[in-house]
Amino acid sequence: MTLLAMRGVTKRFGAVAALSGVDFDLEAGEVHALVGENGAGKSTLMKILAGVQPLDDGTMTLEGREVRFRNVSDAQARGVVMVYQELALVPALSVAENLFLGTLTGIVRYRALRERARALLAQVDLDLDPETEVERLSIGEKQLVEIARALAREGRVLVLDEPTAALSSSETERLFELIAKVKAAGVSVVYISHRLEEVFRIADRVTVLRDGRLVGTRALGDTTPDEVVEMMVGSAVHRYQRPDRHRDERLGRFELDIAGEAPIEITVHAGEIVGLAGVIGSGRERVLPSAFGLRDGARWGEQPLRSPREAIRAGIMLVPSDRKSQGLVLELSVQENVSLGTLSRLQRFGFMRPEAERAQTRHWIDMLSLRPPLPHKPVRELSGGNQQKVVLAKALAIEPTVLLLDEPTRGVDVGARAELYDVIDDLSTRGLGLLLSSSDTEELIGLSDRILVFRGGRVITELRPPFTYEEVVAHVTGARQLA
Amino acid sequence: MSLARVNWRELFARFGLVLALIALVIILSLLSDRFMTQSNLINVLRQISINAIIAAGMTVVIIGRGIDLSVGSLLALTGVVGAALAVGGLPAGIAIAAALGLGLAMGVFNGAFVAYAGIAPFIVTLAGLTIFRGMALAFTDGRPISGLPPIFMTIGYGSFLGLPVPVWIMLGFLLLTHVILRYTALGRSIYAIGGNEEAARLSGIPVRRVLLFTFAYSGLAAALASVVLNGRLNSAQPSAGVMFELDAIAAVVVGGTSLFGGRGGVFGTLVGALIIGVINNGMNLLNVPSFYQQIVKGGVILGALLIERVVSTRRS
Repeated sequence: MTLLAMRGVTKRFGAVAALSGVDFDLEAGEVHALVGENGAGKSTLMKILAGVQPLDDGTMTLEGREVRFRNVSDAQARGVVMVYQELALVPALSVAENLFLGTLTGIVRYRALRERARALLAQVDLDLDPETEVERLSIGEKQLVEIARALAREGRVLVLDEPTAALSSSETERLFELIAKVKAAGVSVVYISHRLEEVFRIADRVTVLRDGRLVGTRALGDTTPDEVVEMMVGSAVHRYQRPDRHRDERLGRFELDIAGEAPIEITVHAGEIVGLAGVIGSGRERVLPSAFGLRDGARWGEQPLRSPREAIRAGIMLVPSDRKSQGLVLELSVQENVSLGTLSRLQRFGFMRPEAERAQTRHWIDMLSLRPPLPHKPVRELSGGNQQKVVLAKALAIEPTVLLLDEPTRGVDVGARAELYDVIDDLSTRGLGLLLSSSDTEELIGLSDRILVFRGGRVITELRPPFTYEEVVAHVTGARQLA
Repeated sequence: MSLARVNWRELFARFGLVLALIALVIILSLLSDRFMTQSNLINVLRQISINAIIAAGMTVVIIGRGIDLSVGSLLALTGVVGAALAVGGLPAGIAIAAALGLGLAMGVFNGAFVAYAGIAPFIVTLAGLTIFRGMALAFTDGRPISGLPPIFMTIGYGSFLGLPVPVWIMLGFLLLTHVILRYTALGRSIYAIGGNEEAARLSGIPVRRVLLFTFAYSGLAAALASVVLNGRLNSAQPSAGVMFELDAIAAVVVGGTSLFGGRGGVFGTLVGALIIGVINNGMNLLNVPSFYQQIVKGGVILGALLIERVVSTRRS
């Protein structure tokens, strides 16, 4: 029987439609997978379901009655609970306190609390002292505590958003057992994931979204991984596919030998863009920080990379994934940010050389067509795309031989994105070697000369052009391994 | 932006502090005819000189997102050591240089714990506050040191071109600090680290060395202030400088430097020190009892921060 039905759900952010007319059904006691590329609208749909955001258009019925959630506690009161990727527990409080956070009033009776906590933890097969502080748990244990907390609120619909991204394989097994168990108890689970092998293992049905629209819903028995991949990618246009050029001049080789992880080697040639693909948790997201000396055990040829300063001296520069927290000093101006990596070159006897600094800034503002082209504007006031150009300018000013690009277009609008692609392409034709780590398949296909696909902490395959969208997505999601 | 429409908010955000100082001066000159005299104004400058010197060092630390609570105690320690060396027969210039060197060294001590051991500046310098005080007391057995050579008299009471020597020392040190902050690569690094330490580190800025410098510089400032104070008192007290760290922090924050780092400058600190100094002076002239003076001073600090907060939130 249908527990929940969403009909014609539409959500706009400004002029952009994040969701247009999406239908979604959930049966009682089913595990329903929700898949799609980044930006397909999965998270937005689930945020509407969980009361995080209101819908602009469409209806939602729960057990045949129309509902409209005004906020998260509204949704929770009706038994719809979301378990977030970023876990929402208070680290310094105990497991028991976290389980009942927000429901505690007046004087807390700890003995009773402990007993109820123990019962709940038993439900999720977690053998833990309820007094343990949450900060001492593993990520997998925290996730189970979150699910226990959802059950404590008599959740009937559990939304799991990429729950296995940070889990080890044994923790993943444990989570799957628990999902089977709550399902048997009649709880419905919406399972958002990029990993098709998980979807095919635990889900009853799968719904595919693309560009904010419903592509279709299938029973897992009636479909194949290849069909799901096809539904995900549609007839995507590969706009930035590069010609397959021959690149001989070898710049060097990264040897990443991090304790407790599989060793990774990546050779970089002059003028080459090496794409790094993989879902969160695949090990892909660790490569660039390692190669920039942020983690112990990386080398560039013979040269050990133990700090960003050592990496920079070896000619390696990073454009970090989080512009605001890692790339920019928001208080400072465009010029001051561009100069950050080249202070030693812009000084004489310790004093800044204003003319040299102005010239350098002007050069990069022109080169990257920064808008507005004002060196003294605080970077805080620039758009996302122009902020990213400032980060890029700072990185390029140190004249690196290898540039590491970590999600270079995250949070950048379409127009600025195309401009950044042009810049990146241009840099490679000037002989720079680039590593491009991205969760955007189209971006990887458009820019890369070859793509390394990561799964389980290692490179599982290296793809050469011409790439097809299906091929990349099939490897990244694991569909290729299922077939 | 049209010229006809003055942006009052922007104007206030930029010059509000100076306007507040001018308003204070006007009010006080109306309330007391002894305020607006040359000798009293010079007096105010001399009174704030010690605080402004310490506050200049504090500004550097705070822009780097730190705090230095140890400066009052460090002033006592460097003061008694410098005085003892001078009284013991060392040439006065060398004794003063030794005091400055000691301040620098103790600042490095603070900075090493912050930058290399990763301990919060508040905790490290709180420990420094008691350690340096204890060292000063142990070194002197709790007794003041007197009989300083005449050069200290000159530092404390001499004047040059109509201004007292302490005021010249203050102005010189403020200028030095301003130059470091605004015109050197080091200064730029301090702003960058205070604004976003992670971005600074990923840009290859030697974050630890720069942080070490900020605390060393604050130590130097405390030592310089101790030389001036020794001159003013013509003796050195192991109990000198109690609560000076709070006066310095007050001058810095009233002067518009953000306690969250990355923003501010030493000109604001001078104005902040002047505002506090003028209020103290005015209240003395008006015979406000000292208990009430403390209440007013605290109120002024709160008021200045409240105004700054309102202006800056409206802007963003």
